Amino acid sequence: MGDWLVDDSLAPATDGTLAPLYAAAARGELALPHCPACGQPLELEQLRCESCGAIGASWRGVEPTGTVHSVTTVHRREPGLIRATAPYHIVDVELTSGHRLLMTTDVPTPRPPAIGDPARIVFRRVGGVAVPALATRSSPQEVR
Amino acid sequence: MATPAIVGLGLTPMSLQPGGHAARLASEAITLALADAGLDRSDVDGLLVGSSQGVRPDRVGIQLARSDGFGDLRLLEHVEIKGATAVAMVQRAVLAIRARMATTVVCVFGDAPIQPGGSAGSTYAHSGGNEGLRGLERASGLLGSVSTYALMAARYLAVTGSGEDDLCAVARTARQWAMGNPEAVFRSRLSDDDYFAARVIATPLRVVDCARPVNGGAAVVVSSRRPQGAAHPPVHVRGMAQWHPMRRRRAGAESWFGGDAGTALDAALAQAGRTRADLDVLELYDPFSITTLCLLEDYRLVGPGTAGKVVRSGATGPGGEVPVNTGGGHLAAFYLQGMTPLAEGIIQVRGAGGDRQVPGVSTALVTGLGGRIDHHAVLILDREASPDG
Repeated sequence: MGDWLVDDSLAPATDGTLAPLYAAAARGELALPHCPACGQPLELEQLRCESCGAIGASWRGVEPTGTVHSVTTVHRREPGLIRATAPYHIVDVELTSGHRLLMTTDVPTPRPPAIGDPARIVFRRVGGVAVPALATRSSPQEVR
Repeated sequence: MATPAIVGLGLTPMSLQPGGHAARLASEAITLALADAGLDRSDVDGLLVGSSQGVRPDRVGIQLARSDGFGDLRLLEHVEIKGATAVAMVQRAVLAIRARMATTVVCVFGDAPIQPGGSAGSTYAHSGGNEGLRGLERASGLLGSVSTYALMAARYLAVTGSGEDDLCAVARTARQWAMGNPEAVFRSRLSDDDYFAARVIATPLRVVDCARPVNGGAAVVVSSRRPQGAAHPPVHVRGMAQWHPMRRRRAGAESWFGGDAGTALDAALAQAGRTRADLDVLELYDPFSITTLCLLEDYRLVGPGTAGKVVRSGATGPGGEVPVNTGGGHLAAFYLQGMTPLAEGIIQVRGAGGDRQVPGVSTALVTGLGGRIDHHAVLILDREASPDG
């Protein structure tokens, strides 16, 4: 079964800079990059820490929680790319780890989260690739 | 030798019809700009080519020099700093001429995102690939750039206590200006009811909050020559600066402010020997209505948190005290990715704005904006050359 939101052709390439994120996501863990020397949370494609100058990134599991920084409900649905039949939400999450991540919800929901709401990160699968998603109240993970 | 100045401007008709070819539109714009300057291709010894956002197969590059009939050149570069490219091209041209690398430099941009079988929005949605961060964002349903700016707008409204009325005022004002611009594609009044009835793309942005993509081209000629046959007096570049704030996207960091783009404007004004009060028109890069509000504040052109109020008061519209995007901007005139505010700044300083001309313009601010408010480039255009050359 495919993803609820996007076509399989939008499955991300899992072999690049973000490979550790996808490898962890496949196990149901959220891994994000930190400076290997000073531990500062890095942006996803950052190659060198701006604080201490150390090169490289140490990807490690982080708490899959945070706060909603912003949210938009997208009404434009590109034919061939977007499968959803109703508007969907994109959420900008400030993670407890200090990172920021954009994601949609794990399942379709008519009600967007509000700015400032607590956020919990789970995963959805696009073309077999696990990607971070915001857990909704109706998500199976919540019920379990 | 005279100082480098803008001596020619060429704008093709702006088309909403599917079809068109970016390189041909660029070519047409160059021909128009050279005619405006009283020059021809054999006078050109420098060519700077800006290209469209995203890596599209049809993007125009330095091959334009060969395909468009130029002779040997002393300067040929593809310039790309996202939405700040148009301004950066003029900066590059001025520096090259000052350094005697060239005497007459054409800066050109052509784009044709509207193609048979797909709107411009569709073209953008299909651009971006599946690699890296962009790939992850696209897999999350973030296609094109509207949702990115919608997130910024939602945050801005929530934090500043602004409302959709403020966005509406920006879109409505852009239309008022566009009504006086024969090149604009939207030349009808936008009422508040029209605004709120417009299709939502990504909340809080409606279609009328977004730049209007067109198939078109624009070219500017920068030269140290003062051709006899020029249609207009030269427009001087008295100040120019860039600013690339390294704002980290981390928890606790804000989405739009904190970049302090005012730094770039301060630097350019100091070079120009001008102050903010001397700016007769403000031509801001407006891919979305929200950026006009953000930039007015970030450039410190209005007080913090007052942009919405200022725009709602009518001050940025025709007859107002702080005229902003006097041709309708990217929102209502046409989206040529930074060439739009550049062209309008030139037109206003020339006094050639017809029905939308602001009386007595001698100094104009032109800005470029790239990424997610990550790259700023500014020009101070002026009727008068700097006293020190």
